[in-house]
Amino acid sequence: MSTHFAVEPALEMLLIAIAQQRDQAAFRQLFNAVGGRLKGYAVKSGANDKDADELVQETMLLVWRKAHLYDPTQASALTWLFTLLRNKRVDLLRRNKHNLISADDLYLEPESAQSEHDAEPLQQEIESDRNQHIVRNLLQHLPTEQRIILYKVYFEGKSHSEISDELALPLGTVKSRLRLALSKFEVLARQHFLWLLIIQMTNY
Amino acid sequence: MASYHPNDELLMRFSAGMLSNALGVLVACHVERCPHCQEKTRIYEQFGGELIAESDDAELPADLLDKTLARLSDEAEPAPVKVSGNVPRPLQRFLPDDVSQIPWKGMSKAIKEFRLPFGDDEFDARLYKIAAGKQLPEHTHRGREFTLVLSGSFSDNAGAYHAGDFVLADTSVMHRPRAHAEQDCICFAVLDAPLKFTGWFGALVNPFMR
Ligand SMILES: [Zn+2]
Repeated sequence: MSTHFAVEPALEMLLIAIAQQRDQAAFRQLFNAVGGRLKGYAVKSGANDKDADELVQETMLLVWRKAHLYDPTQASALTWLFTLLRNKRVDLLRRNKHNLISADDLYLEPESAQSEHDAEPLQQEIESDRNQHIVRNLLQHLPTEQRIILYKVYFEGKSHSEISDELALPLGTVKSRLRLALSKFEVLARQHFLWLLIIQMTNY
Repeated sequence: MASYHPNDELLMRFSAGMLSNALGVLVACHVERCPHCQEKTRIYEQFGGELIAESDDAELPADLLDKTLARLSDEAEPAPVKVSGNVPRPLQRFLPDDVSQIPWKGMSKAIKEFRLPFGDDEFDARLYKIAAGKQLPEHTHRGREFTLVLSGSFSDNAGAYHAGDFVLADTSVMHRPRAHAEQDCICFAVLDAPLKFTGWFGALVNPFMR
């Protein structure tokens, strides 16, 4: 897992190259770097092989169309890719239903995006990189029992009570395990904001 | 800013793209205007990014990249439109721009409803309007009922709820909500689907309780 870490700053640079130069070589590189893992995620969240391939293709087409909206100060490349995959999945699942809601209605695009990319690329890279690093660390150190619950939420969409039935655990236990996992996230997020503040202040 | 928020479970399922249609729209309407929940959503999305990072590198068909390249077009997605008006964006296409034009269906003088067409297997969606200063009969809920206050405000014995607040009532809640006197209170509610006629309206539909 730690081997991915070195790859990530490059993913952000690829997205920026796609946005600014409409760079097809960068697009190929990105596709090769993340396509398989996007499919892996899609399969874990219940897609069959064919649908998973379609989801990868549609997500990558969205990358091409939306790259100029990617803001490295808001999200790491992988987090942004996650939101595109999630949205496409929502839309594909609803494709055959006439209830009209699309993922674009549900998930707001951050308004601050675009054209500021070249402001202070180094600092931005540090920010999103550090961000993802913190989340990674946290995930890696989460006890298995807490991870399992998070996986069931992300890949199976399970609610607390469904998880408690499935794992034959009291509902209270499921809730407190999830709360434990989340409280660690929040503490780390807070520390991280502090760290960002320090970077910003030392830059003035 | 809102004082009552969706719980972490709902926000996480929302961030993961795993909420059913109606409940997803309801949570989206709250998050759109709640910086607190936007912050949490951002953390849960990072978590999703991390799950992609650690996903298996599944095998793709050899020609998928070429097929994808062949479909790249020059048009870029337009930048998002800024949200305006009183109606949350996820609801905009289902409601008139002017909310006073909503064709309410009256159940009584105190409360009117407007059914929203995006229910799903799990939940029904509708708007309620409680007339200014009116109090509803005491009632409980046969299932879960998630409510987002869109405009105005109401109180019950547990608290006061204002625009943006997200409230969950279920079978354990017995209450007599009253809209505050200054204006009508409009709520967006999502309730367990099989219990269509026994939710908030149960008390009103039941003739013995009139
Ligand atoms: Zn909130």
